[in-house]
Amino acid sequence: MIRNTPKKRALFASAVIAAGAMALSTMPAQAASQPGITSTEIKLGITSPLSGKVAAVYGKIPGAMKAYFSHVNDNGGVYGRKINLISKDDAYVPTLAVKATNDLIMKDKVFAIVGALGTANHLAALRSANLSGRGVPDLFVNTGFSGFADKAKYKTTFAVLPSYVMEAKIMAKYIDDNYKGKKVALIVQDDDFGLDAVAGFATAGLKPEVTIKFPTGADTLAAAQGWITGKLKPANVDIAIIFATTTTSAAVLGAAAGLQYRPTVGWMLGSVGGDSNTLRAGGVPLAILNGAIGTSFAPDPSDASDEYVTFFKSIYAKYVPGSTFDLTVLQGMNSAMLTVQALRAAGKNPTRAGLIKAIETKGAKFASAGFTPLRYSANSHVGYSGYWIGKYSATGSLQPIDGKRVLYTTDSGSGAVVSATISRAPLPTNGLPTNS
Amino acid sequence: MRKRLLLFIALGWVLLLIGDRVDELRVYQGASIAVYVIAIGSIILLTGYSGQISLGHGALMAFGGYVAALCVANASLPLWFAFVMAALVTGIFGGVLGFAAARLSGPYLAGTTLALAVGLPSLANQFSILGGEQGIYLDPGLPPASLGESFSQYKWFFWITTLAALITMFWLANILHSKYGRTWRALRSNDVAAQLCGVHTGRQKVLAFSLSSGLAGLAGALLVLTISTVSPSAFPLSLSFALVTGAVVSGIYDLKGVMLGAVILVVIPEIADSVASRFGDSLKITSTLPGLLVSALLILAVLFTPNGPGEKLHHLRHKRKAHSG
Repeated sequence: MIRNTPKKRALFASAVIAAGAMALSTMPAQAASQPGITSTEIKLGITSPLSGKVAAVYGKIPGAMKAYFSHVNDNGGVYGRKINLISKDDAYVPTLAVKATNDLIMKDKVFAIVGALGTANHLAALRSANLSGRGVPDLFVNTGFSGFADKAKYKTTFAVLPSYVMEAKIMAKYIDDNYKGKKVALIVQDDDFGLDAVAGFATAGLKPEVTIKFPTGADTLAAAQGWITGKLKPANVDIAIIFATTTTSAAVLGAAAGLQYRPTVGWMLGSVGGDSNTLRAGGVPLAILNGAIGTSFAPDPSDASDEYVTFFKSIYAKYVPGSTFDLTVLQGMNSAMLTVQALRAAGKNPTRAGLIKAIETKGAKFASAGFTPLRYSANSHVGYSGYWIGKYSATGSLQPIDGKRVLYTTDSGSGAVVSATISRAPLPTNGLPTNS
Repeated sequence: MRKRLLLFIALGWVLLLIGDRVDELRVYQGASIAVYVIAIGSIILLTGYSGQISLGHGALMAFGGYVAALCVANASLPLWFAFVMAALVTGIFGGVLGFAAARLSGPYLAGTTLALAVGLPSLANQFSILGGEQGIYLDPGLPPASLGESFSQYKWFFWITTLAALITMFWLANILHSKYGRTWRALRSNDVAAQLCGVHTGRQKVLAFSLSSGLAGLAGALLVLTISTVSPSAFPLSLSFALVTGAVVSGIYDLKGVMLGAVILVVIPEIADSVASRFGDSLKITSTLPGLLVSALLILAVLFTPNGPGEKLHHLRHKRKAHSG
C-alpha cells in the first residue's frame, strides 16, 4: 500500500502536468504582426540603472528620452503612433540587465531596445537574450565600447557614442600635439570599458607612466586618496587622465581637492566621467576642475548659443519640471530624436528588419546635436566618429580652447586621427523630424 | 529502482512535450525551475536528511557558477565538462567546509554558513580574474544545428537544465533510499543513538555536506548558463533564504515536493510584478514585494504544513480513512 503511494502520486502529478501542457498549448500563438506595434502605439524598451550607485547620474536617461517622446507624441507621434518607452532598472548589474532585457522582449514584447546603458551590463544582456539572433533592434546603445559596433557579431545593434578607442586615440593625439614628452597617468576601470581605452592609447603610441586599473565598484574616496598619494604623487605626473565613470572622477577629484593635489599640467577627463553638473552634485568643488582638459562629441549643456541645447532644455523643463539639465539628459534626448528619425525612416508599417535597414541606409543623414558625422551604412553600425577637445571653465562648462572648437575624427581601428570641421544638420522645426 | 527510472523517463518526455508547446518566456521560466529543483534538492539532502542547517547555499551556487564560467571562459572546456567540474570542485570545497560544519550544530552552523553567503560572493571583487562586480561571461554556445533553425537558445537551456534536474533527482531519490539515506536520517533523529549503532557521525555529516555542496555547485553553474554571465550580484543573500524557504515549502523531509518549491520561487516575482503594476508600477513595490511574499510563505508553511504539503495530504487521507473506517 505504502509502496504504491509514491507511484500513484507520481502518476497523478504527470497527469496534472500533461493537462497543464495541453491547456498551455491552447494559448493564443503570437500574432504574425510585428511585436510592440499596434495602430496607435510603438512600444520600445530601455534598461538602465534606476537604483544603486550610479543611478543618480545615468538614471536620468529614460526620463530624458521620455520627455522628448512626449513632445513628439503631443505633436501627433510617429505616423500617428505614440511612442511608449518601457523603462527597467538593472542597478548597473549585468545579471539584472539580463533579466530586465529578457522581460522587455518576452513579457512586454517591445518592438526594439533603445539606449541601453553600460558596457558590461548590456554586453551580458545582448549575449544572453541573443538580440542579434532574434532580430530585435538594439538602437543607440549608451556606451562607447567599440565592440558594440561589430556588425558581424551583433547584427541588430547600433552604437551611437564615439567609441572609447576613438576617444583615447584623440586624447593621445592632442597630448602629442600639445604636451609632447610629458608624463601621463591613466586611471581606468578594469573591464571592457577600460580595456577599450587602454587599447586606444596603445594604438596611438601613448605610453602612460602610471596606469591604475581598478575593479568596478572599487572607486571609493579612500581608494582614490591611495592612488594619489601612492602612485600619482611619487611618479610626479604631468597629466592625469581619468577615463572612467563620473563616480570615479568624483572620487579622484574629491580626493585631490582634499589633498590639495594637482598634476603639474592638469587633469584630463574622458567624456563619460566629465559632466561637471554631476561632478558638482557629487561634491566636487568646481575650482579643481577649472582648466582641466575634456572631450565631448556634443555641445556643452550650458551652451546657450546652441540651438539643440536650448530646444532640449526647454522640452526637458516642460516635461520634467524642476530637474537639472545636464550632459546625460542631452545625450538621452539626442538619442530619442535619432530614434524618432529611425522609426520614421522605417516607414508607415515598420518591421524590425525594416528599421535596421532604414538606419543603415539613411542614418548617416539624421539630424542630431553631435558635431561629428554619424557613420551608419550597410557595412557599419558605428555612430559618431569623433570628438572636440576643450577646457573646463571656472563654472564647469566645457569650452573651446581659445575660442576655437577643435574637432578630430578617427575610427576604432588603426586609422589616423584627423582634424575635421563641424558637420551637422540644423534642428528640425520645433524639434520634430519630418524625414521619411 | 527500475520503476523509478521509467517514471523519470516518462516525466522527461512530458516536459519535452511541454517545452515544445509553450512560448519562449515559459520555456525560460521552466529552465529556472529546473535550476531551483536541483538547489532545493541539495538543501533537502542536507537539512531534511542529515539534519545540518545551511543558510549559505547561495554562496555554494556562486562557487559552482564561477568554476563553470572559468572552465569555459579561460580553459575553453566544453559546457558539459564545466558542469561536471562545477559539481566536483564545489563538492570538494563543501567537503572541506563540512569538516568545520561537522563540529557545529544548530544556530552555530546556521551562523557560519550565513557568513559564507555574505562573504563569499563579494570575494569576486578582490580578484581581477573573477571580473569584479561585472563578473565573467559564460558563452553558452548555440544549440546544435541538427535541432533546426527555429530551435531557440532558451529551449536549449531548458533541455540542458531539465535533463540535469532529472538526472540529479533520480540520483538523489536513489541515494536517499539507500543505506546512506537511512544513516543520515538516523543521524538527524538522534546522533547519539546513531553513534551507538556504529555510525561514524562526523564522516557522514561531512559526506552529506559535500554531496549537497556538489549539487548546489551544479545548480549555480546551470543558473549561470541561463543568464550567460556570472557575477556576485547573481547570488545575493536573499537567494540562500529563498532556497531554504523553497525547501520548507516543498516539505524538507521529503524529496517529492521539490518541484512545488521551485515553481513557487519562480512564480513569486511574477505575482509581485503583477501586483505592483496594479499599484501603478512603483519600483519600490516591485523590488521589495517578492521578499515579503517569500517571508510570508515561509511563516505560513511553518505554521500550517511544517513537514510539507505532501505529508499534510497523506495525513488528511489517513484521517479520512480513519473516519470512514
